[in-house]
Amino acid sequence: MDVLHWDGTLSAKDFRVGAFAFAQKWESLNSGFPLWVWVLSPKHPWLASPEEEGYLSLEKICLSRPNEEEIDQISQIDTEEEGTNCAGNEDVIDDATLVQSNHHELHYYDFHIVYSSTFRVPVLYFRSYCSDGSPLLLNEIEKELPACSSKELSKSKWIFISQEEHPYLKRPWYKLHPCGTAEWIKLLFLSDTARPKFEVVLELYLLSWFSVVGQMFGLKIPFKISN
Amino acid sequence: MAAAEPPSSVRKVVVHLRATGDAPILKQAKFKIPGTDKFAKVIDFLRRQLHRDTLFVYVNSAFSPNPDELVIDLYNNFGFDGKLVVNYACSMAWG
Repeated sequence: MDVLHWDGTLSAKDFRVGAFAFAQKWESLNSGFPLWVWVLSPKHPWLASPEEEGYLSLEKICLSRPNEEEIDQISQIDTEEEGTNCAGNEDVIDDATLVQSNHHELHYYDFHIVYSSTFRVPVLYFRSYCSDGSPLLLNEIEKELPACSSKELSKSKWIFISQEEHPYLKRPWYKLHPCGTAEWIKLLFLSDTARPKFEVVLELYLLSWFSVVGQMFGLKIPFKISN
Repeated sequence: MAAAEPPSSVRKVVVHLRATGDAPILKQAKFKIPGTDKFAKVIDFLRRQLHRDTLFVYVNSAFSPNPDELVIDLYNNFGFDGKLVVNYACSMAWG
């Protein structure tokens, strides 16, 4: 299939292939990073041969913003280990960085990459909670995001984030709306002067997708992952 | 270009801004920026030139860099022919 004529979407099977490729690349990066885990969740287990459905999961990520340090690593909070390594990002222009009401309260984030059969693209579901498990509301989450994300959010949050039932866990999570995804994914891949074959696109799809989506939360992907 | 390599702290990177989708083409689409500057500067420049807050910005190899990446790092990874091509589109990333 030629990238030029591709509509930017994936079949469910493609999503699985792409998800595994993404998780593998992510793992090959750096052992300090927490890993994406494929959670197998057949939707219709009572069928004779259920399709291998599932989603990618990255959990217990700490996004508390340090005051001045630039930390470009994401690591998981391991309750058995001492010390906390928190993901953060240094905002370029942000007066609010030094003012944090809950400076010592750690907020954890769970990210799930779920396939949408309606839009035929990956969708990011997320939720945040304190160490005692109490959930954070969207306006509280907003305060922890990079300045440009919270600016966009404050202007038009209900345009692109909504609270919905997680398709597998059946609990309320937040999700980033997927309806623009196919279009900008296409733009991303058309920029590649090499005009890759679809197999290569598939291998890189979630990586490219996450390079955009992860920015909402200040999550960085190191470049070497895309080489 | 001088034969001697300038010290890296003042090395500048040539950036080409490339309109994609239905984005307007800039009159001034090429410029030099210190490698030690963050990508956020390029994004801010684009925002001001286009009078738009929401822009979709990406480089080749289907990658959208984080704003606090250094331009020199981006050039080393995604640059070719002595320049860093930065694509931009006005389509909403979300929705």
